[in-house]
Amino acid sequence: MDNRFVTPLGNEGMYVLDTAAWRIVRPVMNKETCINCGICMGYCPVNSVYFEDGQFRISYDYCKGCGICAAECPKQAITMEEEEK
Amino acid sequence: MSYIDVLKETRNVMTPGSSACQGCGGELILRRVMQIAGNNSVFAVPPGCMAGAGVDGWNFSNGCTAPIHITLLDNTASFMSGVSEMYQRRGRTDVNIVAIAGDGATADCGFQSLSGAAERGTRMLYVCYDNEGYMNTGYQRSSTTSLGSSTSTTPAGAAINGKEQQQKYVPLIMAMHNIEYCATASPSNMADLVAKIQKGLAASKRGFAYLHVFSPCPTGWKFQPDQSIQVARKAVASNLFPIWEMENGKLTLTENRKPITIREFVAGIGKFSKLSDEEIDAIQTMADNRYATLQKLAAK
Repeated sequence: MDNRFVTPLGNEGMYVLDTAAWRIVRPVMNKETCINCGICMGYCPVNSVYFEDGQFRISYDYCKGCGICAAECPKQAITMEEEEK
Repeated sequence: MSYIDVLKETRNVMTPGSSACQGCGGELILRRVMQIAGNNSVFAVPPGCMAGAGVDGWNFSNGCTAPIHITLLDNTASFMSGVSEMYQRRGRTDVNIVAIAGDGATADCGFQSLSGAAERGTRMLYVCYDNEGYMNTGYQRSSTTSLGSSTSTTPAGAAINGKEQQQKYVPLIMAMHNIEYCATASPSNMADLVAKIQKGLAASKRGFAYLHVFSPCPTGWKFQPDQSIQVARKAVASNLFPIWEMENGKLTLTENRKPITIREFVAGIGKFSKLSDEEIDAIQTMADNRYATLQKLAAK
């Protein structure tokens, strides 16, 4: 587990609200067409887009699947794909 | 340094997994304000969507990694006046004092304390995310709700056709308090929003800074979550939400050379689906007049 997120700790351990479970579609980034402009990171309401090793990537840990990144990507490099059951 | 670099290098202050709806404009604004303010800050988030989503930590699911207060709906600014005063007296002028409130806690219930703090020149940044209503409790009308909006207290039906009054324009009222910094921003213009948060934080060390941010609400306004940014963009393009800032008594308006019509803005937004032609014309006239007023204020 990396330390990308800091979650609150209480008497009963770590508090986690699993918003990833809300997702019915997931954003998939096509790194072939992605130009690493970072616009998706700016618009992501849950800060699920992160920058690592010179590239922007999507974390699915808390992504709610709202689709803003796919709608706003200037290169249409992000597609919303159905979650598998 | 571009805004992308700023966001890339700042850490999340709000914890992940907030229960705000998919595509929430408020959460986007809250996270940006918090990550730019950083951990060396004291926040206040009064009841509203963002407190309801758990940023104050009351729900034992998520929270904030910096000190945060859940104030009352009507005392956010006065509460933070006291907090700010304490930090100033202790010589801790490095600490950012930031309040993040919805339009209900800003324009309606909290307006008296906000106006008082602004007039006293309290050293703090007050950010209002304006989603035009009390979304947390199921979208009741507020004083910033647009004319003709179908809300749970002004439902479009046989008796009335949505809210009957025009919205109150809070940012200009705040600018007339002669505060250190006053600006409007929209999440669609992210570079501008980030720059204004930074300017607001810098101004909050000298006096009162106020930031009014347009916050699209997919659940309350009834549109698809992925359209949030597009709705904010159209609100700016149609002059319903003009972008400007005021510093040292000088207003700078971001010129909108090719405005779209209000009819184009309301298309596809559920709360405006029953809008009559007269109402669209009334909103158009209001938006045009307001923009003309801002242009006059911005003229040298």
